[in-house]
Amino acid sequence: MSILKSLLKMRKKEYPVQPQEAAETGPDLKSMSLEQLKKRINAEFGSTVDLSMDELKTEGKDALLIYLKTMIDTKLLKETILQSLSVKEDGIELTTEDDLKSLCKEKFGGAGYQLVESFDDIITALLYGNIIIIFKDMEKALSLSMDSGEDRSITEPSTQTVIRGPKDGFVESISTNVRLLRKRIKNKHLRFEKFIIGSETNTSVYIGYMKGISNEKIVQEVRKRLGQIKVNAIFESGNIEELIADKSATPFPLALNTERPDSVASNLLEGKIAILVDGTPFVLVVPAVLVDFFSIAEDYYQNFMMGSFLRMIRYLSFMIALITPSLYVGILTFHHELLPTPLLLGIIAQREGVPFPAVIEVLLMEVTFEILREAGVRMPRAVGQTVSIVGALVIGQAAAEAGIISNIMVIIVAITAIANFVSPTYSFAAAARLLRFLLIIVSAFLGLYGVLIVLVFIVAHLSSLRSFGVPYLSPVAPFIIEQQKDVFFRFPIWSMRKRPAYLKSQNPEKFPKTGSPSPPPMEGEQSN
Amino acid sequence: MRKHGVMFAAFLTAILLSGCWDQRELGEITVVTGMAVDKGEDDKYTLTVEGINATELNNRTASGNAPSIVYSAEGNSLAELTYRVNEGISRHLIYSHMRTLIIGEELAKEGIIDFIDFLERNREIRDDFNILIARGGKGSDVLKVTYQFQKSTSLKLHTQLDTMMKDWGGDPGVRMNDVITAWTAPGRQPVMAAVSIKGDPEAGPSAENMMKVTPDALVILDSLAIFKGDKLEGFLTLEDSRNYLWIQNKINKTSITVKCSESQYMGLRVYDTRTKIKGKLENGKAKINIKIRAEAYIDGTHCNDQFDKAKTYKESGETAQKQINEMVTKTIEKVQEEYGTDIFGFGEVVMRQDYQNFKKVKKSWDEKFAEADINVDTTLIIRRTGIRTKSFLNEVK
Repeated sequence: MSILKSLLKMRKKEYPVQPQEAAETGPDLKSMSLEQLKKRINAEFGSTVDLSMDELKTEGKDALLIYLKTMIDTKLLKETILQSLSVKEDGIELTTEDDLKSLCKEKFGGAGYQLVESFDDIITALLYGNIIIIFKDMEKALSLSMDSGEDRSITEPSTQTVIRGPKDGFVESISTNVRLLRKRIKNKHLRFEKFIIGSETNTSVYIGYMKGISNEKIVQEVRKRLGQIKVNAIFESGNIEELIADKSATPFPLALNTERPDSVASNLLEGKIAILVDGTPFVLVVPAVLVDFFSIAEDYYQNFMMGSFLRMIRYLSFMIALITPSLYVGILTFHHELLPTPLLLGIIAQREGVPFPAVIEVLLMEVTFEILREAGVRMPRAVGQTVSIVGALVIGQAAAEAGIISNIMVIIVAITAIANFVSPTYSFAAAARLLRFLLIIVSAFLGLYGVLIVLVFIVAHLSSLRSFGVPYLSPVAPFIIEQQKDVFFRFPIWSMRKRPAYLKSQNPEKFPKTGSPSPPPMEGEQSN
Repeated sequence: MRKHGVMFAAFLTAILLSGCWDQRELGEITVVTGMAVDKGEDDKYTLTVEGINATELNNRTASGNAPSIVYSAEGNSLAELTYRVNEGISRHLIYSHMRTLIIGEELAKEGIIDFIDFLERNREIRDDFNILIARGGKGSDVLKVTYQFQKSTSLKLHTQLDTMMKDWGGDPGVRMNDVITAWTAPGRQPVMAAVSIKGDPEAGPSAENMMKVTPDALVILDSLAIFKGDKLEGFLTLEDSRNYLWIQNKINKTSITVKCSESQYMGLRVYDTRTKIKGKLENGKAKINIKIRAEAYIDGTHCNDQFDKAKTYKESGETAQKQINEMVTKTIEKVQEEYGTDIFGFGEVVMRQDYQNFKKVKKSWDEKFAEADINVDTTLIIRRTGIRTKSFLNEVK
């Protein structure tokens, strides 16, 4: 009891908040000598090893060149900037701000220069990979972007692979990602807005949307929610997803994440909003509804019949992954009469000598499989084979042969696992993975009745979810007949003229009515 | 807040206190596929159950032991006996997969309606199992005979009767719910298939029996048992059984042998047949018209008929029609004369088509049936002659 009390006290204890430094804007640049400035910046960065401060004399003035060695392209620095600055010219004399401006125009026009004033701006610019040149006795300093641009090259996405379709995927660099989107949508209405999120990481987060297509209210809501984030660090879009979701107590993802530029592009054109986070190839798309997690870009690249078929397979797989083990437990412990006699006798024969009740057997195998799966993801690549051999042989074959589990159990675990991998979005498959265990336990106590109850709860829960105000089950509930063309089936592209109605797009029609393509009339036949 | 609490509690009660209560792990159950009820020595009934040894039915796990365990217990109600049999069997018995019920002849003669109520009322037992009479013996003996393929008699009979009914039509296809319908509906009496043991009943209950090419004991479909109320009246032959099915419009396919000339026969495979019955009461006498329409193909002939002319088809068809008329009429007459119990459900037909008159004779319908005028009219059309038009018999040197 006393331990509990002390624990509670600990929670109440407030930790001293670090003093906010942002309040003071810092001394203005003009009043400080270069030497003082140097000291000051060194103090700010705590003489970190990659900070470089060179004094130089140019344009008849003393100046200070500051940059973080690790963040910039030193080759570019030498080649362009230093060369252009070091040339002695008599024409300009730097005394006023205007002089500085004209110098910049002359020398760095087009290179994306900025004049910064405050001390904080200088620090931020340095952190983003800019170089700073402070001229003596000038109010403003020159900031030039010289980002090293060293990133992973564009490769095929490791998740959400397709057979037919573009093979490029997003990378960690946000500017590359924006470029990938721009290349697909050459339209002036594609807008990106920048947010800096994370009080300590200062991560760039962009939102992208189509002006005139996406619902302005939803865009505003996204802006609002991003603006409200007060965490110290953002490393992945998953952090953002959790912070802007309408509800966090749910196993279902409320934002779509994807590595595929084509899928983000098509979602943007539907009127959705993309959230790009610097440092991760996973881009968020909001608002997301349940059916988005069953449709993939490839559905639209192949024959619509095949697309529809595969989509239905995906729905089926989700159900298999969710309920097969619990059906096994439920039927085998409560509802023997549901099985055909030969099948029941076959299962009994197999389970003869299995020492566990069905539910223990299922839990044992499902947990074992989850362990194997986690091991498969985390292990070093070099030992990959070992895990699969151990998994397949030791757990599957040997356990069945030793009579600890029945053969049919191996089949159940296998079909569940394979069906779970069908889900195109990893975060959505995770929901089935979690709920499966709940279903197994409930079905062990209450039988199929319990399975039904949990399924009813899941549906009730799903219909209570919202993603940026959009009901999660739309367009199925609320039912929108027009959108059924793209839910369980994928209709031919020429027939899907409307944007999703639940998004309340400003421009609900994608293109004018054209009808299906048809062959030219035969010779002698009247054309209609 | 309190309101929510009450609602929540009510909700949890509804969910947690309901649910399935009959939890049984597969390792603790034995599936009962067959049941036999005989007259008891001291008490009313002897119940015999056949519990399947599932391991023996699976090819991979079988080791040549007995495929099932058959155990009997004696008592006055089946409801108690179904649980009493655990005095000899270790696991919980589940009855939801019961396929076959065999009733001993002796008991059937005394009446069976008492215990059928249990079978219909029980929550586990289905209502569509085969219900059979063990002719000239005890049901328990039939249940004990082993067999090569399904190994257990109850499973064997279930499959066998189905096959027989589909291919030839010897089994009346009577399930328990049919029997109950026949008892409750006016103008119909129940029938059941009857089985008997061919060979030595003592040799039946052993694993060796199913290892032999010609088993020492084999359960065969013997005849058709006919009832008056719940009492067994007698047996008809398998031929009659087929004719019974024909009248009931339940023939799927059958084969008949037609005499085409002196001691020469022709086989016909009948594959598409419909039967319509019209009945009415005229001056207190029942008139039943049975119209049978059938299609068939020639499945072998001893005669040198040339099937390249339409006339031959017609003539052969007419011969067959005549024979079917005779066959069916004979069966009905036999039932009328010997048993006077309306197993064909003609009363039902009359009730539907001539209700006002039927009302008057409802109680004594079986008497009316015994003296009814029966007219059978068959139309048989021969459509094909197999893969030969002319027989090679013509060209034999």
